[in-house]
Amino acid sequence: MNTASAIRRLERRETHSSRAAASIVTALILAAAFLWLAVELVLALLGADPLIVRPGAMAQWLVHVPEATVPARLVAAGGVLALLGIVLLAMAMRGGRRSRRTLKSGQAAIVVDDDVLASAVSRRARLAGNFAPGQVTTTVGNGSIQVLVRPTSGLPADRSAIQQAVEEELAGYGLDRKLSPKVRISTEGALGQ
Amino acid sequence: MSNTNRALNRILLALGGLVLLAAGGLTAAAGLRPDVAGAWTTAAQQSVDDAQSLAATAPVPEPFRSWWAIAAVVLLVLAAGLCLLWITRQGGGKTHRVASLPDAGRGRTTVEVGLLSSGVEAAISGNQAVLASSVSAWEGRRGTALRLSLQARQGASPRELADTANQVTQGIFRLLGHEVPVLVRITSGNRTRLAGNSRTR
Repeated sequence: MNTASAIRRLERRETHSSRAAASIVTALILAAAFLWLAVELVLALLGADPLIVRPGAMAQWLVHVPEATVPARLVAAGGVLALLGIVLLAMAMRGGRRSRRTLKSGQAAIVVDDDVLASAVSRRARLAGNFAPGQVTTTVGNGSIQVLVRPTSGLPADRSAIQQAVEEELAGYGLDRKLSPKVRISTEGALGQ
Repeated sequence: MSNTNRALNRILLALGGLVLLAAGGLTAAAGLRPDVAGAWTTAAQQSVDDAQSLAATAPVPEPFRSWWAIAAVVLLVLAAGLCLLWITRQGGGKTHRVASLPDAGRGRTTVEVGLLSSGVEAAISGNQAVLASSVSAWEGRRGTALRLSLQARQGASPRELADTANQVTQGIFRLLGHEVPVLVRITSGNRTRLAGNSRTR
């Protein structure tokens, strides 16, 4: 077994969605619809009362839908169906990247949650600027990382020092994709810190 | 991480999306243009008539009237079964056995996940950055792989955690006597939020 390729495969599978939830929901809805149709068909063949509607009536309704329905409603219903279709298509075709990322490592695939990353960066920014917990908030986006600092009222915050500290911290992680940090100093100060 | 067939999921979801999109587009078109609405009614009536005449070609005694009706029921049940099969294809592969070797005709030696779990727990018990750990294994087409999950303390450095994980992985390899693919997950969980920040060092 080629270990390097096995590791790469593990990393890729862990950072991308398997679409299992969407698949299960879709399959359940489809299975329920097929089973219901089968039951209605059997009931109609046996001459019993239908659960909801007879297959014959269903077919006739389907034939006369365009005549029996207000055009605006047809358009609205069509729009909703098409939207659902687009959602499913998007789920199937988009990358499905999850909010995790890979750290370079020797022999294991290492995948870190973005919020672990965010809290570590917050801590480093806090140490660099000498802030209390809660004064620094970090959000990890797709390719960027936003650090929002709320300095203590009356005390200026050194933006470039914090920026440099955060950049150093990120460079030390060995992330597979580069994250460019942006440090913002809030204009509202925090009182009593 | 599991043996989910991801390509199949994507293909089937895309197919479902295309069908819905086509149905929606047709419905909307029928609302916008009278000629589409007319064609819809004609074509649908035609297929209903076709189905009825087809049903008459293969009669069976009451109460089932036609072989075609029975075939339709079977087909529907089969389709539902395929959908349920699709659900069962999600995930899977989890195993308790990490490694197993025959012992020259005197039996087999098997290593279970529990052994590695307790070993990892002991190894990281003094580590302030890690709040909890778990080890699991799953069996894929390419053999057994391990998943080592570490719950990070708030503010803990991912690099330090990764280095810890690498050491633990080395230990596991030594214990097993051979290398296996290892996935390390560094996560935050409930304990991360409850346990508070790490002390400044």
